[in-house]
Amino acid sequence: MTRFTIPLAVLRSEWIKLHTARSTYIALIAAFVLGLGTGLLDVLSVTGHWATMSAADRADFDPVGDPLSGFQLGELALGALGVLAVSTEYATGMIRSTLIATPRRAVVYTAKALILGLFALLASELCAFAAFFVGQLVLRRQHLDVSVTAPHVLRAITFAGLYMAVVTMVGFGLGALIRHTAGAMAAMFALVFLTYPAARAFEGSSYLPDHLTLADAATALATIAPPTGPHAQRIPSFGFACFDLVLYLVAFLGLGAARALRDA
Amino acid sequence: MVEIRGLTKRFGGTTVVDDLSFRIEPGRVTGFLGPNGAGKSTTMRMILGLDTPAAGRALIGGRPYRALDKPLRLVGALLEAGAVHPGRRARDHLAWLAASNALPAARVGELLERTGLSAVAGKRVGGFSLGMRQRLGIAAALLGDPPILLFDEPVNGLDPEGVLWIRTLMKSMAAEGRAVLVSSHLMSEMALTADHVIVIGRGRLIADTGMRQFIESAGPGASLEEAYLRMTAQAVDYSTDAAAIRTQTRGPGR
Repeated sequence: MTRFTIPLAVLRSEWIKLHTARSTYIALIAAFVLGLGTGLLDVLSVTGHWATMSAADRADFDPVGDPLSGFQLGELALGALGVLAVSTEYATGMIRSTLIATPRRAVVYTAKALILGLFALLASELCAFAAFFVGQLVLRRQHLDVSVTAPHVLRAITFAGLYMAVVTMVGFGLGALIRHTAGAMAAMFALVFLTYPAARAFEGSSYLPDHLTLADAATALATIAPPTGPHAQRIPSFGFACFDLVLYLVAFLGLGAARALRDA
Repeated sequence: MVEIRGLTKRFGGTTVVDDLSFRIEPGRVTGFLGPNGAGKSTTMRMILGLDTPAAGRALIGGRPYRALDKPLRLVGALLEAGAVHPGRRARDHLAWLAASNALPAARVGELLERTGLSAVAGKRVGGFSLGMRQRLGIAAALLGDPPILLFDEPVNGLDPEGVLWIRTLMKSMAAEGRAVLVSSHLMSEMALTADHVIVIGRGRLIADTGMRQFIESAGPGASLEEAYLRMTAQAVDYSTDAAAIRTQTRGPGR
């Protein structure tokens, strides 16, 4: 076996595949509409009711976390993009064309993951930063805005984007593992949404399951305020949330690879 | 060019390709014949590295397919016409294939022209007729100008014009010195196209011979269909009386 390299040609090929599929644009538009729109609605609601809000609610307000609140929906669109980027190849039989052109499975899988990962990261960061700045425009009217240079602000925005990119790759891993679009979509939705209530069932004995869910990790990453209130223990530390991202990325890319390297 | 040595494939407990050996030579069209389930498609998939053999090897110029760098420059393959994303435009499908093997982008336009798809290059493949999809598959196979061509059932579902086009194409490819392997169930079509036949049944080699010798082996005045039915009578999975009757009652001359 020769040394493992990813030829530029294969990367280019995967990039053409990604940007010539209609689903890529639909997912991207959905991610931006959900990501920006939900955050905007959240912020408009806060500024509209600020005068009548209780002190506790005012204290709970996070000028970074609130504009970014939409990315918990936008992530689903990107997760779907991740699933589709690989499941459609198996569903349509196109994977045979891919493997005839590039017979080494590991090269195909790695190139696909690299291109999708870079694309998702760029789109996610763009979405997160856009959501932040649009939110600040609204908040400025009530002088509730924060500067991007304030402590932890840049970190929160960057990691909100990183988080969405990781969810995209979780979708990709599931798509490669399950190979059926509907099945992989269902698994991705369950992983993102249903693990949250499931983990809460263990709160009597341990908060560890909470700390391992994507939803709670997201809360820890995309905020500048330490968690408060009765459920603060549910939220992992920033460091633990970063560990979650690495864990999910490695686990699901690994599971996808385990199946993708076998016969198509 | 292509050498198959002791190739064997099992699915579960069933042996679908059984110690198969043959060569695909350049400069001629080799017909690849056999009943349903004989292992033709599986053999082609193993040549292309899509399936892993249980034993034996399929070598392209001495190397297994999976070891080839830029294989589209060496082997062009048409499997089922379905190996395309229906939401992608024809031009884009060829573009990613060309890019993957570092083929010049200009090849895409050339092949669209050559296969008569220029007018629909910007249309999504999902709306294509079977004939158009088949042409797109041929365009993909020819992208890298390969010296070896493998066609699995290329004329299935094509109109007479399409059948003639593919027949002419395969013959001209062989005349240019390429090795062409084509599988089909259409015996009359094969008789017109192939110079050489490889017949397999239940995964085993039944015949590997020139077209004329193969037909003559069934007796004077026989057709390829008669020769084929006689050869494979013992190897069909689901035998019907028709095949048995036809081979038994055929009179000399017609």
